[in-house]
Amino acid sequence: MSRARRAAPRNRNWVAGSLSLLGELLITVGVVLALFVWYSLWWTNVVADRQASARGDQVRQQWQSAPPAAEPGALDTQGGIGFLHVPAMKNGEVLVKRGTSPEVLNDGVAGYYTDPVKSALPWDRTGNFALAAHRDGHGAKFHNIDKLRSGDAIVFETRDTWYVYKVFAQLPQTSKYDVDVINPVPKASGRTAPGRYITLTTCTPVYTSKYRYIVWGELVRTEKVDAERTPPAELR
Amino acid sequence: MYGWIWRHLPGNAWVRALISLVLVLAVVFVLFQYVFPWAEPLLPFNDVTVDEGAGATG
Repeated sequence: MSRARRAAPRNRNWVAGSLSLLGELLITVGVVLALFVWYSLWWTNVVADRQASARGDQVRQQWQSAPPAAEPGALDTQGGIGFLHVPAMKNGEVLVKRGTSPEVLNDGVAGYYTDPVKSALPWDRTGNFALAAHRDGHGAKFHNIDKLRSGDAIVFETRDTWYVYKVFAQLPQTSKYDVDVINPVPKASGRTAPGRYITLTTCTPVYTSKYRYIVWGELVRTEKVDAERTPPAELR
Repeated sequence: MYGWIWRHLPGNAWVRALISLVLVLAVVFVLFQYVFPWAEPLLPFNDVTVDEGAGATG
Protein backbone atom coordinates (compact mmCIF):
# COMPACT_ATOMS: atom_id res chain seq x y z
CA MET A 1 0.00 0.00 0.00
CA SER A 2 2.53 2.60 1.07
CA ARG A 3 4.80 1.83 -1.83
CA ALA A 4 1.89 2.15 -4.26
CA ARG A 5 1.00 5.49 -2.74
CA ARG A 6 4.43 6.81 -3.48
CA ALA A 7 4.72 5.46 -6.99
CA ALA A 8 1.25 5.75 -8.48
CA PRO A 9 -0.87 8.72 -9.52
CA ARG A 10 -3.70 9.58 -7.21
CA ASN A 11 -6.67 7.96 -9.00
CA ARG A 12 -4.87 4.65 -9.43
CA ASN A 13 -4.15 4.74 -5.77
CA TRP A 14 -7.89 5.19 -5.10
CA VAL A 15 -8.79 2.19 -7.28
CA ALA A 16 -6.21 0.02 -5.57
CA GLY A 17 -7.51 1.10 -2.16
CA SER A 18 -11.12 0.22 -3.04
CA LEU A 19 -10.11 -3.13 -4.49
CA SER A 20 -8.14 -4.00 -1.41
CA LEU A 21 -11.08 -2.99 0.80
CA LEU A 22 -13.42 -5.12 -1.33
CA GLY A 23 -11.00 -8.03 -1.08
CA GLU A 24 -10.82 -7.73 2.69
CA LEU A 25 -14.62 -7.59 2.94
CA LEU A 26 -14.98 -10.70 0.76
CA ILE A 27 -12.45 -12.59 2.87
CA THR A 28 -14.34 -11.49 5.97
CA VAL A 29 -17.64 -12.79 4.55
CA GLY A 30 -15.94 -16.10 3.76
CA VAL A 31 -14.58 -16.42 7.28
CA VAL A 32 -17.95 -15.53 8.83
CA LEU A 33 -19.72 -18.16 6.69
CA ALA A 34 -17.15 -20.75 7.69
CA LEU A 35 -17.73 -19.82 11.32
CA PHE A 36 -21.47 -20.22 10.77
CA VAL A 37 -21.00 -23.75 9.47
CA TRP A 38 -18.85 -24.54 12.47
CA TYR A 39 -21.53 -23.03 14.72
CA SER A 40 -24.37 -25.03 13.14
CA LEU A 41 -22.65 -28.38 13.04
CA TRP A 42 -20.55 -28.28 16.17
CA TRP A 43 -21.35 -25.54 18.65
CA THR A 44 -25.14 -26.12 18.66
CA ASN A 45 -24.40 -29.78 19.50
CA VAL A 46 -22.25 -28.75 22.45
CA VAL A 47 -24.92 -26.42 23.80
CA ALA A 48 -27.79 -28.84 23.16
CA ASP A 49 -26.03 -31.85 24.69
CA ARG A 50 -25.24 -29.84 27.80
CA GLN A 51 -28.90 -28.74 28.06
CA ALA A 52 -30.24 -32.22 27.39
CA SER A 53 -28.05 -33.94 29.94
CA ALA A 54 -29.00 -31.39 32.62
CA ARG A 55 -32.70 -31.87 31.81
CA GLY A 56 -32.25 -35.64 31.71
CA ASP A 57 -30.66 -35.63 35.16
CA GLN A 58 -33.58 -33.57 36.44
CA VAL A 59 -36.09 -36.07 35.09
CA ARG A 60 -34.23 -39.00 36.64
CA GLN A 61 -34.08 -37.18 39.97
CA GLN A 62 -37.82 -36.56 39.82
CA TRP A 63 -38.40 -40.22 39.11
CA GLN A 64 -36.42 -41.15 42.19
CA SER A 65 -38.05 -38.70 44.54
CA ALA A 66 -41.67 -38.93 43.40
CA PRO A 67 -43.89 -41.67 44.85
CA PRO A 68 -44.82 -44.37 42.35
CA ALA A 69 -47.78 -43.21 40.31
CA ALA A 70 -50.81 -45.37 39.80
CA GLU A 71 -51.02 -44.32 36.14
CA PRO A 72 -48.03 -43.74 33.90
CA GLY A 73 -50.05 -40.95 32.32
CA ALA A 74 -49.69 -39.04 35.56
CA LEU A 75 -46.07 -38.31 34.63
CA ASP A 76 -44.94 -34.74 34.49
CA THR A 77 -44.80 -34.00 30.78
CA GLN A 78 -43.08 -30.64 31.15
CA GLY A 79 -39.59 -31.86 31.97
CA GLY A 80 -39.81 -34.86 29.67
CA ILE A 81 -41.72 -38.14 29.60
CA GLY A 82 -38.82 -40.54 29.30
CA PHE A 83 -35.77 -41.63 27.37
CA LEU A 84 -35.40 -43.17 23.94
CA HIS A 85 -32.64 -45.74 23.45
CA VAL A 86 -31.79 -46.78 19.91
CA PRO A 87 -28.70 -49.03 19.97
CA ALA A 88 -28.34 -48.94 16.17
CA MET A 89 -27.99 -45.14 16.24
CA LYS A 90 -25.16 -45.34 18.82
CA ASN A 91 -26.12 -42.08 20.48
CA GLY A 92 -26.92 -43.05 24.02
CA GLU A 93 -30.20 -41.97 25.51
CA VAL A 94 -32.42 -39.23 24.11
CA LEU A 95 -34.75 -37.32 26.37
CA VAL A 96 -38.29 -37.13 24.96
CA LYS A 97 -40.42 -34.06 25.52
CA ARG A 98 -43.80 -32.82 24.40
CA GLY A 99 -43.99 -30.87 21.14
CA THR A 100 -41.88 -30.48 18.02
CA SER A 101 -41.29 -26.73 17.93
CA PRO A 102 -37.71 -25.50 17.43
CA GLU A 103 -37.66 -24.30 21.06
CA VAL A 104 -38.18 -27.87 22.23
CA LEU A 105 -36.01 -29.70 19.70
CA ASN A 106 -33.11 -27.27 19.86
CA ASP A 107 -32.36 -28.43 23.40
CA GLY A 108 -31.05 -31.73 22.05
CA VAL A 109 -34.16 -33.80 22.72
CA ALA A 110 -36.69 -35.71 20.66
CA GLY A 111 -40.23 -34.32 20.69
CA TYR A 112 -43.51 -36.13 20.24
CA TYR A 113 -45.98 -34.56 17.83
CA THR A 114 -48.93 -32.56 19.05
CA ASP A 115 -49.57 -31.12 15.60
CA PRO A 116 -50.61 -31.78 12.79
CA VAL A 117 -51.44 -35.26 14.16
CA LYS A 118 -51.61 -35.77 17.89
CA SER A 119 -49.18 -38.50 18.84
CA ALA A 120 -50.21 -41.40 21.01
CA LEU A 121 -48.07 -42.15 24.05
CA PRO A 122 -46.41 -45.51 24.64
CA TRP A 123 -48.85 -46.50 27.39
CA ASP A 124 -51.94 -45.85 25.24
CA ARG A 125 -53.87 -48.97 24.24
CA THR A 126 -53.36 -48.29 20.53
CA GLY A 127 -51.90 -45.49 18.45
CA ASN A 128 -48.70 -44.14 17.01
CA PHE A 129 -45.98 -42.66 19.20
CA ALA A 130 -44.57 -40.15 16.68
CA LEU A 131 -41.25 -38.43 17.35
CA ALA A 132 -39.05 -35.84 15.65
CA ALA A 133 -35.47 -34.80 16.34
CA HIS A 134 -32.63 -33.01 14.59
CA ARG A 135 -30.49 -34.78 12.01
CA ASP A 136 -27.62 -32.27 12.30
CA GLY A 137 -26.84 -29.63 14.87
CA HIS A 138 -28.70 -29.06 18.13
CA GLY A 139 -27.65 -32.45 19.43
CA ALA A 140 -28.25 -34.27 16.11
CA LYS A 141 -30.12 -36.98 18.00
CA PHE A 142 -31.41 -38.74 14.89
CA HIS A 143 -28.24 -38.30 12.84
CA ASN A 144 -27.79 -42.04 12.32
CA ILE A 145 -31.42 -42.79 11.50
CA ASP A 146 -30.28 -44.32 8.20
CA LYS A 147 -28.43 -47.04 10.17
CA LEU A 148 -31.74 -48.50 11.38
CA ARG A 149 -32.81 -51.74 9.70
CA SER A 150 -35.92 -53.87 10.10
CA GLY A 151 -35.65 -55.88 13.30
CA ASP A 152 -33.55 -53.29 15.15
CA ALA A 153 -34.71 -52.38 18.63
CA ILE A 154 -36.06 -49.02 19.74
CA VAL A 155 -36.52 -48.91 23.50
CA PHE A 156 -38.44 -46.24 25.33
CA GLU A 157 -37.80 -45.91 29.04
CA THR A 158 -40.30 -44.35 31.46
CA ARG A 159 -40.12 -44.32 35.21
CA ASP A 160 -41.85 -47.66 35.57
CA THR A 161 -41.68 -49.42 32.23
CA TRP A 162 -39.38 -50.33 29.34
CA TYR A 163 -41.29 -50.29 26.03
CA VAL A 164 -39.45 -52.43 23.51
CA TYR A 165 -40.25 -51.73 19.85
CA LYS A 166 -38.91 -53.42 16.74
CA VAL A 167 -38.38 -51.57 13.47
CA PHE A 168 -40.49 -53.03 10.67
CA ALA A 169 -40.40 -50.41 7.89
CA GLN A 170 -38.36 -47.45 6.67
CA LEU A 171 -39.13 -44.69 4.21
CA PRO A 172 -35.80 -43.13 3.24
CA GLN A 173 -37.31 -40.12 1.53
CA THR A 174 -40.69 -38.46 1.53
CA SER A 175 -42.17 -35.01 1.19
CA LYS A 176 -42.24 -32.78 4.23
CA TYR A 177 -46.00 -32.44 3.68
CA ASP A 178 -46.52 -36.20 4.03
CA VAL A 179 -48.26 -35.96 7.41
CA ASP A 180 -49.98 -39.34 6.93
CA VAL A 181 -46.76 -41.05 8.03
CA ILE A 182 -47.54 -40.14 11.64
CA ASN A 183 -51.21 -41.21 11.54
CA PRO A 184 -52.41 -43.61 14.28
CA VAL A 185 -52.31 -46.32 11.60
CA PRO A 186 -49.48 -45.31 9.25
CA LYS A 187 -50.67 -46.88 5.99
CA ALA A 188 -47.41 -46.11 4.15
CA SER A 189 -45.61 -48.54 6.47
CA GLY A 190 -47.75 -51.39 5.19
CA ARG A 191 -49.81 -51.77 8.37
CA THR A 192 -53.57 -51.46 8.05
CA ALA A 193 -54.82 -52.41 11.52
CA PRO A 194 -54.59 -50.39 14.71
CA GLY A 195 -51.59 -51.27 16.84
CA ARG A 196 -48.97 -49.79 19.14
CA TYR A 197 -46.58 -48.13 16.72
CA ILE A 198 -43.62 -45.80 17.03
CA THR A 199 -42.55 -43.42 14.26
CA LEU A 200 -39.25 -41.55 14.06
CA THR A 201 -39.06 -38.57 11.70
CA THR A 202 -36.14 -36.34 10.79
CA CYS A 203 -34.81 -34.52 7.76
CA THR A 204 -32.83 -35.99 4.88
CA PRO A 205 -30.39 -35.87 3.08
CA VAL A 206 -27.96 -34.93 5.84
CA TYR A 207 -27.20 -31.21 6.21
CA THR A 208 -30.42 -30.25 4.41
CA SER A 209 -34.14 -30.14 5.07
CA LYS A 210 -35.36 -31.05 1.62
CA TYR A 211 -37.10 -34.34 2.49
CA ARG A 212 -38.07 -36.38 5.53
CA TYR A 213 -36.74 -39.76 6.64
CA ILE A 214 -39.24 -42.02 8.38
CA VAL A 215 -38.75 -45.18 10.45
CA TRP A 216 -41.63 -47.23 11.85
CA GLY A 217 -41.58 -49.75 14.64
CA GLU A 218 -44.15 -51.65 16.65
CA LEU A 219 -44.29 -52.66 20.27
CA VAL A 220 -43.15 -56.22 20.89
CA ARG A 221 -43.25 -56.26 24.68
CA THR A 222 -42.99 -54.18 27.82
CA GLU A 223 -40.88 -54.84 30.88
CA LYS A 224 -41.34 -53.54 34.38
CA VAL A 225 -38.43 -51.42 35.59
CA ASP A 226 -36.78 -53.15 38.54
CA ALA A 227 -35.01 -51.53 41.49
CA GLU A 228 -31.63 -51.46 39.71
CA ARG A 229 -33.19 -50.21 36.47
CA THR A 230 -31.70 -53.23 34.69
CA PRO A 231 -32.06 -52.50 30.99
CA PRO A 232 -33.87 -55.01 28.76
CA ALA A 233 -31.81 -57.52 26.78
CA GLU A 234 -31.82 -55.28 23.69
CA LEU A 235 -29.71 -52.66 25.48
CA ARG A 236 -27.18 -55.00 27.03
CA MET B 1 -9.65 -1.89 6.40
CA TYR B 2 -7.58 -4.22 8.59
CA GLY B 3 -4.49 -2.15 7.79
CA TRP B 4 -6.33 0.96 8.93
CA ILE B 5 -7.35 -0.72 12.22
CA TRP B 6 -3.80 -1.96 12.76
CA ARG B 7 -2.36 1.52 12.26
CA HIS B 8 -4.82 3.03 14.74
CA LEU B 9 -4.16 0.55 17.54
CA PRO B 10 -1.87 1.86 20.26
CA GLY B 11 1.41 0.34 21.42
CA ASN B 12 4.09 -1.71 19.74
CA ALA B 13 3.54 -4.71 17.49
CA TRP B 14 3.07 -7.15 20.41
CA VAL B 15 0.50 -4.98 22.14
CA ARG B 16 -1.31 -4.46 18.85
CA ALA B 17 -1.32 -8.19 18.16
CA LEU B 18 -2.78 -8.84 21.61
CA ILE B 19 -5.49 -6.21 21.16
CA SER B 20 -6.28 -7.63 17.72
CA LEU B 21 -6.69 -11.09 19.19
CA VAL B 22 -9.07 -9.75 21.85
CA LEU B 23 -11.06 -7.90 19.16
CA VAL B 24 -11.31 -11.05 17.03
CA LEU B 25 -12.50 -13.09 20.01
CA ALA B 26 -15.07 -10.41 20.85
CA VAL B 27 -16.42 -10.50 17.31
CA VAL B 28 -16.62 -14.32 17.35
CA PHE B 29 -18.43 -14.18 20.69
CA VAL B 30 -21.02 -11.71 19.39
CA LEU B 31 -21.53 -13.84 16.28
CA PHE B 32 -22.02 -17.08 18.25
CA GLN B 33 -24.10 -15.55 21.00
CA TYR B 34 -26.38 -13.21 19.08
CA VAL B 35 -25.99 -13.16 15.31
CA PHE B 36 -25.98 -16.89 14.46
CA PRO B 37 -28.87 -17.86 16.77
CA TRP B 38 -30.87 -15.10 15.14
CA ALA B 39 -29.91 -16.08 11.58
CA GLU B 40 -30.31 -19.84 11.92
CA PRO B 41 -34.14 -20.13 11.91
CA LEU B 42 -34.22 -17.96 8.79
CA LEU B 43 -32.24 -20.57 6.87
CA PRO B 44 -33.88 -23.77 5.62
CA PHE B 45 -31.44 -26.34 7.05
CA ASN B 46 -33.08 -27.53 10.23
CA ASP B 47 -36.70 -28.44 9.58
CA VAL B 48 -37.18 -32.02 10.68
CA THR B 49 -40.93 -32.41 11.16
CA VAL B 50 -43.69 -33.31 8.78
CA ASP B 51 -46.32 -30.63 8.71
CA GLU B 52 -48.85 -28.95 6.52
CA GLY B 53 -46.54 -26.23 5.33
CA ALA B 54 -47.25 -23.46 7.77
CA GLY B 55 -46.98 -25.33 11.03
CA ALA B 56 -44.17 -26.30 13.33
CA THR B 57 -40.69 -26.80 12.03
CA GLY B 58 -37.72 -27.91 13.97
